[in-house]
Amino acid sequence: MNVSNRKTIRCLSIASFKAAKIRNIITVAAIALTTILFTVIFTVGMSMKYGFEQSNFRMVGGYAHGGFKYLTKEQFEELKDDPLIKEYGKRIFCGMPEKEPFHKSHVEVSYCDANTAKWMFVEPKEGRLPKEGTNEAATDLRVLSLLGVEPVIGNEFTMTFMVDGQETTETFTLCGYWDYDEITVANHVLIPESRTQEIFEKLGTQGKDGMTSFWNMDIMFKNTSHIEENLDTILARHGYQSEGLDQGDNYIRTGVNWGYMSAQFEDSLDITTIFALIAVMLLIIFTGYLIIYNIFQISVSNDVRFYGLLKTIGTTGRQIKRIISLQAFLLSALGIPIGLILGYGAGVLMTGIVVSQLNGIVLTYSVSPIIFLGAAAFSFVTVWLSCRKPRRMAAKISPVEAVRYTEGAGTKKKSRKGEKGASIFRMAMANLGRNKSKTVITVISMSFAVVILNITFILANGFDMDKYLKHVITDFIAADASYFQTGGPDLTSFPEESVSQIEALDGVKGGRTYQKTFAAQELVTEEWVRKLNGKYSSPEMVDRYVEMLEKVGDLRAERVQLYGMEDFVLDKLPVIEGDLSKLKEGGNYVAAVYSSDDYGNLHEDSHWAKLGDKVTIRYVEEYEYYNPETGEIYGEDEDLSDKRWQDRAKVYEDKVYEVAALVEVPGKICYRYYGADEFVMGADTFIRDSGTSDILYYAFDCEDDKVEQVEQWMQDFAGGDDSMYDYESRKTEEEEFYAFRDMFMMVGSGAALIVGMVGILNFVNAILTGIMARKREFAVLQSVGMTGKQLNRMLITEGMVFAGSSVVITLILTIVMGPLASDVLEGMFWFFSYHLTVTPILAVAPVFLLLGAVIPLCSYRYVAKRSVVERLREAE
Amino acid sequence: MCKTAFMMQIILFIRKKEENMTILSTQDLKKVYGSGESEVHALDGVNFQVEKGEFVAVVGTSGSGKSTLLHMLGGLDRPTSGGVTVDGKEIFTLKDEELTIFRRRKIGFVFQNYNLVPVLNVYENILLPVQLDGGSPDQNYIKDIIDTLGLSSKLNNLPNNLSGGQQQRVAIARALASKPAIILADEPTGNLDSKTSQDVLSLLKVTGQKFSQTIVMITHNEAIAQMADRVIRIEDGRIA
Ligand SMILES: Nc1ncnc2c1ncn2[C@@H]1O[C@H](COP(=O)(O)OP(=O)(O)OP(=O)(O)O)[C@@H](O)[C@H]1O
Ligand SMILES: [Mg+2]
Repeated sequence: MNVSNRKTIRCLSIASFKAAKIRNIITVAAIALTTILFTVIFTVGMSMKYGFEQSNFRMVGGYAHGGFKYLTKEQFEELKDDPLIKEYGKRIFCGMPEKEPFHKSHVEVSYCDANTAKWMFVEPKEGRLPKEGTNEAATDLRVLSLLGVEPVIGNEFTMTFMVDGQETTETFTLCGYWDYDEITVANHVLIPESRTQEIFEKLGTQGKDGMTSFWNMDIMFKNTSHIEENLDTILARHGYQSEGLDQGDNYIRTGVNWGYMSAQFEDSLDITTIFALIAVMLLIIFTGYLIIYNIFQISVSNDVRFYGLLKTIGTTGRQIKRIISLQAFLLSALGIPIGLILGYGAGVLMTGIVVSQLNGIVLTYSVSPIIFLGAAAFSFVTVWLSCRKPRRMAAKISPVEAVRYTEGAGTKKKSRKGEKGASIFRMAMANLGRNKSKTVITVISMSFAVVILNITFILANGFDMDKYLKHVITDFIAADASYFQTGGPDLTSFPEESVSQIEALDGVKGGRTYQKTFAAQELVTEEWVRKLNGKYSSPEMVDRYVEMLEKVGDLRAERVQLYGMEDFVLDKLPVIEGDLSKLKEGGNYVAAVYSSDDYGNLHEDSHWAKLGDKVTIRYVEEYEYYNPETGEIYGEDEDLSDKRWQDRAKVYEDKVYEVAALVEVPGKICYRYYGADEFVMGADTFIRDSGTSDILYYAFDCEDDKVEQVEQWMQDFAGGDDSMYDYESRKTEEEEFYAFRDMFMMVGSGAALIVGMVGILNFVNAILTGIMARKREFAVLQSVGMTGKQLNRMLITEGMVFAGSSVVITLILTIVMGPLASDVLEGMFWFFSYHLTVTPILAVAPVFLLLGAVIPLCSYRYVAKRSVVERLREAE
Repeated sequence: MCKTAFMMQIILFIRKKEENMTILSTQDLKKVYGSGESEVHALDGVNFQVEKGEFVAVVGTSGSGKSTLLHMLGGLDRPTSGGVTVDGKEIFTLKDEELTIFRRRKIGFVFQNYNLVPVLNVYENILLPVQLDGGSPDQNYIKDIIDTLGLSSKLNNLPNNLSGGQQQRVAIARALASKPAIILADEPTGNLDSKTSQDVLSLLKVTGQKFSQTIVMITHNEAIAQMADRVIRIEDGRIA
């Protein structure tokens, strides 16, 4: 094809493009809506991925890709300019305070340059990083509060810390501070490089620990793939290695940020989520396809004469295809950017709603180009798929047929039975039958939105608060904040004073639960250990694990988690078998803890102990470390980092208990962490035998009329963000439930809204184009005596049949699919009870019917602006 | 049979009575399209009468205003000034709805390009004006028209499977179906060969006589014009 030819096609394409103004507006809107849907998905997805990574980085304490550790100044200078390195940051570790008030915190005093500070999330929110040659320092609010120093720039503070085994006390002037992030493990005090050198000189530091006074290089590469290989490549280029000291003293330690390595967002997606995501994407493509295909299909049908004419004068099928493709390109070029902008806004909103319901993800908004490229690509693919068939249709038009063509009628059908003549209703029905695919697709497209809306309602309505609160067995639980945030073994004890304060409140009745997870073992059969661990680990790993456990006779000493519960809490436990009165009396009795799934189905094999079984619990006071090969026992202060070792109880006490009951410990009052077999004891027995009285939580009920007061008190006591304690109450649980439900409501309604707009747009387009294409025909009808009223009646009937059938289809679908949906949803959400509801459909029905009447009326009004004669004269 | 004969008697009698009665007249009819520079005086003061039962041919060069005149006569469009009286009724005093109803009872249109409704079959197209009026068709009469026009075998066909001549005959049947007093035809034979033109024209004339209708027909064909009772010539929107 020569160039001028191409130009002609472009001219033709643009000319017919300009002629179809309404179609263009509707198509652009349709493409924009489709793009919005894709963009929202991408924005939420990418933001969550990003937020997930950020949470990981914060836990790790930074997002540099990797780095070299403990370099000399010379090594640092040598490596820093390697071409593989995109950016680097510098850090010199100086020391760590160990005494009060820092005995429970991990605080590092160091020098960081601007890059490292940024990458470690320690950029001052107020003020700035310390200046060289001054006594300035920057730190976080937690350190300041521990020191009892007001966060005011210019304040002085003094710290005592250990530098390579030597203690020093230094005074600094605060030059900047930032918020403390609970997720990060370490707190930081940043000082100038000059100050580190001063301290090292003063103390004569030599870096005996291999850490202090050495230089660390944090590195950003061009991208996150091959971080480890890149580090090794750089080392090799300069004649170093990272294998180990035994491979030579050119050893340099490397570090890879595991935030990039393990626990990647992609890994955490399970199959169901991936399928769900694919399903959602397909649904969006389908939604977009329904409307865009319909628009092009209608447009081609209406322009059949035009294409036929082009054919008659020698345009080839391929050229006609190109005409349509060009228009699709133009429309995409307009619609996609609009959709991207609106979609990003909606996506940001959605991200906020969704992330607030998820734990362990920080709320961040991704601005990754992938969002825009991805959404645009998907949209474009949808457009391209949608106009494939219409294109082929246009290319295949035979010039002869085209001249005789009127929408749908007669191309295939030669005749129509009917001797009764034409009633308005039957004419309307015949009109709907003209372009069957248009009618069907429009109806599906409208139904689709209603189905989504109805599912959303069924879902949100079905969330059953009673079921949800099933696990809430006491009105309140108060504990150290970590219990609620992470759960886990040996948490910070909830102080006895706090318990007494709560106990003193009016109308409160409760009980303590004590905890012990470290330094407690049970003696169990190897078979059970294998069975228990085999669920999660490979046989080799289980073998290795079993070998690690100390052998006591035929049995193995395995970890165990113990609860010591006061009577109040014991009374709340669901008992499977036996009874708990023996535990309360204080003999050597325990209850074995079984688990069940969220639906309340007991896991029969979740514990080995049966009623009447004996169990030996070993309370360990001191462990010793030994070499499993030689049996050599290591000294207490020996550095074990490059040796093989195993531990075993050295000083301990074994106690034998009888299993008096089998119980469950509901989710809200358990360790919230799965680690090992669990037993419950009476509080007295527990304290007597375990020698600990660390309180896991204090659970309590409250008289109904005092609930408000107590809630308020707890809110003041433990509700604040800066409080060390936290609490859960029936009310907070209810709020959580509503928030969760609202999230579904918002997301579902949002989706239904946009899909609904697509459906209505499709409907508007179908009606409008149907009427525009028939303007001349209407003039004919009027010329033979059809009044405007009759014409309107016919058009309204057409519109109503469209709207009515989508309502009916949706109703039928909902009712027929009900039982299936019920199973699926109840399988997905344990606190879901299926109730069939068609209220949304019935609520939407009048709107649809109204649209079914109004849209044809308005369209006709537009057409009727021109007189009958004018329309009759119009060239076909 | 007896009944039909009786009807014919009555019709003939009435026809005699009404002879020389004006059924259609225009009063200084003007139609201006556009304004300013592009102003077109499609009709520039047209006055004429048509007697009941007359067969009038309208001729004139292209663009002289023939179609415009016909549209005005049938009340399809409103004039810029002047009026049209049909059967004693000033039609432009009627509202649009009333005008439409008046038209479907009194006037049958035959267009140059047939203008059939594509989704309706031949039979439904013919019956359309009657049914729009809510009346039940006079079966014998309709059958008579269909037979006269030779459409009996095509009743179930959709329009775009018919030849031009067949479509024109359907259009004529449709125009006759509601027993209108006046038939207005715009170049009904324009798209037909001379043989078919003759056939269609004879049919029109025969049915017109048979059902005692007044016919106003536009044509370019002098020979065809000669078949009319009277020929009106239009030039630049005026009667020449
Ligand atoms: N809707 C309109 N807008 C503007 N001008 C019009 C319109 N309709 C008709 N005209 C003009 O009015 C004049 C008369 O048109 P009309 O269709 O009556 O001519 P005609 O005698 O029927 O011609 P033909 O024999 O070609 O059918 C023409 O000049 C035409 O351009
Ligand atoms: Mg004309």
